[in-house]
Amino acid sequence: MTKEHANWSPYDNNGGTCVAIAGADYCVIAADTRMSTGYSILTRDYSKICKLADKSYMASSGFQADVKALQKVLSSRHLIYQHQHNKQMSCPAMAQLLSNTLYYKRFFPYYAFNVLGGLDSEGKGCVFTYDAVGSYERVGYSAQGSGATLITPFLDNQLKSPSPLLLPAKDAVTPLSEAEAVDLVKTCFASATERDIYTGDSVEIIILNAKGVRSETEQLRKD
Amino acid sequence: MSIFEYNGSALVAMVGKNCFAIASDRRLGVQLQTIATDFQRIFKIHDKLFLGLSGLGSDAQTLHQRLVFRHKLYQLREERDMKPETFASLVSAMLYEKRFGPYFVQPVIAGLGEDDKPFICTMDSIGAKELAKDFVVAGTASESLYGACESMFKPDMDHEELFETISQALVSSIDRDCLSGWGGHVYIVTPTEVTERILKGRMD
Repeated sequence: MTKEHANWSPYDNNGGTCVAIAGADYCVIAADTRMSTGYSILTRDYSKICKLADKSYMASSGFQADVKALQKVLSSRHLIYQHQHNKQMSCPAMAQLLSNTLYYKRFFPYYAFNVLGGLDSEGKGCVFTYDAVGSYERVGYSAQGSGATLITPFLDNQLKSPSPLLLPAKDAVTPLSEAEAVDLVKTCFASATERDIYTGDSVEIIILNAKGVRSETEQLRKD
Repeated sequence: MSIFEYNGSALVAMVGKNCFAIASDRRLGVQLQTIATDFQRIFKIHDKLFLGLSGLGSDAQTLHQRLVFRHKLYQLREERDMKPETFASLVSAMLYEKRFGPYFVQPVIAGLGEDDKPFICTMDSIGAKELAKDFVVAGTASESLYGACESMFKPDMDHEELFETISQALVSSIDRDCLSGWGGHVYIVTPTEVTERILKGRMD
């Protein structure tokens, strides 16, 4: 009487952790660079962060083939937008596009857990967090991926920004300075690396602010 | 839903300088309904030995009763208290006796051993001991607790700093776990005194 199930799955989980934090005039987006399958490591220097627009960076963990396809779709849609409107897409606009793109495949989803970080049109940091089928919310900070459950409570405690769990919902950005936020991200990844086998090798950190964009790489434990 | 997630629990123990701390949440639930908001998960075996039991509430209480019985018998025979290392071995043996029909608990043992040296350990439901020098965690909030403790812990904290650290780690982790909550119970144990404090967190 039981239905026969497929012994092949179209999905795989390549692991990894992504974090983003929004500040008053900056945004930090970070992801580790380990790509795994099962208990094996495929590579130690794979970037999970993609520049979608001048002020929108997306970090995605999950199934990297689906992530790559998603990045391609969004990049090409952004190019079309630029041809039609003669300007870059704003971060909130890209956030909506990502949501719609994910929901488009509601019944065969992109196995991608995304965090979108950038600056809004006022120059304030913005972070949007998603589930696999496009449900999204603007928050002050977010973590996705295998290390998310380890990192999120620590961020709740340290960021001193109103937790997204509080009611009524308060304005999201953290009062921390840019340097403090970057340091916090490094600490988060160091801790997550200790206890999560899918997180490690190194962490790629992108910092967006009024002056432009800068990238930092920090080495993590490789075991 | 796993049997270990039926009642919900969060337990953590940390080592400091000549002291230790053990803390738990206070919720007892039946799946998504909360039944009690003052449930005791940490039990004193003697002045320098505490036992925390996460997992199924019924098995936690039964195991506690059995262990108190065994310890009282030990005290009568040996005319002294059990060392934490010995107690841990006792718990491990009792759990393994039920290898093919286990108690659905994950114990956390914390005590001051010989020369008041802090000792902590945890084990799985069939008695596999894990000794740690820094901290141990158990319960439905264990992943969150791992992350919080790993970031906040530093070695050789005195009892005041240890209290702050373990409290912050516990409350942040509980707040992200649906099945744990309703505040926290923290015990700080030094060679001279035991302090018990209740923490207020999100009461959900």
